[in-house]
Amino acid sequence: MPLSEERLRAILAWVVIVLVGGPVASAVLLGVLEGDSPCILCWAERTSMVLIALCALFVIRYGPRPRYIGVVVLLGVWGVYMGLRHSALHLARDLGQGFSAAIFGVHTYVWALVIHVTVLAVIGALLLFMREIAPAEGPRLPSRAGRFAMGLFVVVIAANALQAFASTGPPPFFGQGDPVRLSLNPRHWVWSFEELEPYHISLRGSWTIPVPNPAAADPDPAHGPLAGLPALAVTSWERVGAPLNGALSGLARDSATRRFLAVTDHYGVYLLDSTLTHVLHHVVLDKGFSVDLTPLAGAAFVGGDTLAVLSTNKSYALLTSVPHADERAEWRHFLETDGQVSEVALGRFQTVRAHQMYVLSLAFDPAAQELIAVSVPNPRHHQLVVSRFARKDLTLSSEFEPQLTAGLTLRSPDRTPAEYVVTGAVVTDGRLYAISAAYSTLLVVDLKDRTLQAAYAVPGLAHPVGLAARGADLLVAQADGRIAVLARPVR
Amino acid sequence: MEFLNFLLIVWAAWLVWRRPERERLAFRLLVISCLLMALCFFIGSHGSLVPGVNL
Repeated sequence: MPLSEERLRAILAWVVIVLVGGPVASAVLLGVLEGDSPCILCWAERTSMVLIALCALFVIRYGPRPRYIGVVVLLGVWGVYMGLRHSALHLARDLGQGFSAAIFGVHTYVWALVIHVTVLAVIGALLLFMREIAPAEGPRLPSRAGRFAMGLFVVVIAANALQAFASTGPPPFFGQGDPVRLSLNPRHWVWSFEELEPYHISLRGSWTIPVPNPAAADPDPAHGPLAGLPALAVTSWERVGAPLNGALSGLARDSATRRFLAVTDHYGVYLLDSTLTHVLHHVVLDKGFSVDLTPLAGAAFVGGDTLAVLSTNKSYALLTSVPHADERAEWRHFLETDGQVSEVALGRFQTVRAHQMYVLSLAFDPAAQELIAVSVPNPRHHQLVVSRFARKDLTLSSEFEPQLTAGLTLRSPDRTPAEYVVTGAVVTDGRLYAISAAYSTLLVVDLKDRTLQAAYAVPGLAHPVGLAARGADLLVAQADGRIAVLARPVR
Repeated sequence: MEFLNFLLIVWAAWLVWRRPERERLAFRLLVISCLLMALCFFIGSHGSLVPGVNL
């Protein structure tokens, strides 16, 4: 059914009445009756709805000129961006942990997104059905509904202006990120510039995290944050003799079978014999689809024939060796396979303290039946976080930042153990041994009392990527495939 | 600034309603108000312009 200009004006009059009399007017009522006070982002979203209604008034008065439609489309697009940006702050929180008032169970910032998407859809529908219209020559007298819409608009927006005066103040004050409840008593009015701080502008804020590059870390133990560390000498060197598809990025050893598990920066997973020269099984993981894998950074035996590998973004894969894997079923998991490996699970570890931090290591604590990863610091987050995940459900069990014991001293008060970049870890005798590519230091963490029990300088290392235990020795794997053998400290 | 913006909007609506011959001024007020609204949102989100989620 073609839409005449008269009908369009009548529809828009009701659009204004619904938009202004609905969300915009009820927002003022919520403020007066419930003390609800918008944050600076809510103010902008509410203003955008008001401006859309104002554009409709222009059309009611002057006809559907292209520039009015252009402004509404721009406001709709901008409003969708605002709704997304604002909702993203709270959407991923837990049950009932949204921000401020909810209307029909949905918070106002989500309504802003819904309303702006609806506006764009309505504009599209109206333009689709609108009859060709000759350019309007001048203003036209609005209908009764149009006049009511204009009067309602002025009254409701004037009420909004009064609320804005009490809540945000006169220029040059701005709205606040965390506003206080609305009060009609001037003693309780808060007018501030808090949103201008900090002054830097960032595209992604705390999500601007560079990919870790342990190869660029300073290997000199003398420059590390801990002072006076005893040295732990490399007693001998070994090498991964088996051909790999890339640089070594993680190593584990199974004490029961004496086999090794090696991973590479090209998603290669290799089960090696005790001499590190023969490949027993191997696969190359498909890094895309379902769960994104960034380069593999850690490996662990987690009991039985199950192997665990971890990528830097905390995505993991559990694999097992089987005599005859289902070729068709495994094709989706592996780019290469020897036909004797099956994927058991693929998923992502969720962390709290180590959120927005990469990891470069994986260990398995058989006593606690937990997988352990250690975060690496980045410019936004300076922490050394030990995250433990239950083997049973692969969910976070606990996280902690190891505290220094009395025997360890910082080189200066502004230094911190978070400067270490842990690239390999192994659990043995109830302790977590972790090797840091930065400052070539071996850290010993007591898993019971959550302390950094000891640390040792290991001179001569170059880009360590993994750590394994073999009897009384520790094996530090390097990216070049060489393995430094150390006597495991007993303290 | 939000208060100022609503005053501009009321002014523009008043012109459309009671002084329709001042369309050019009313439309300019509309555009200024749009820019002021965008500026306020920018100030409120300048620490992270893009939503804080995986993109």
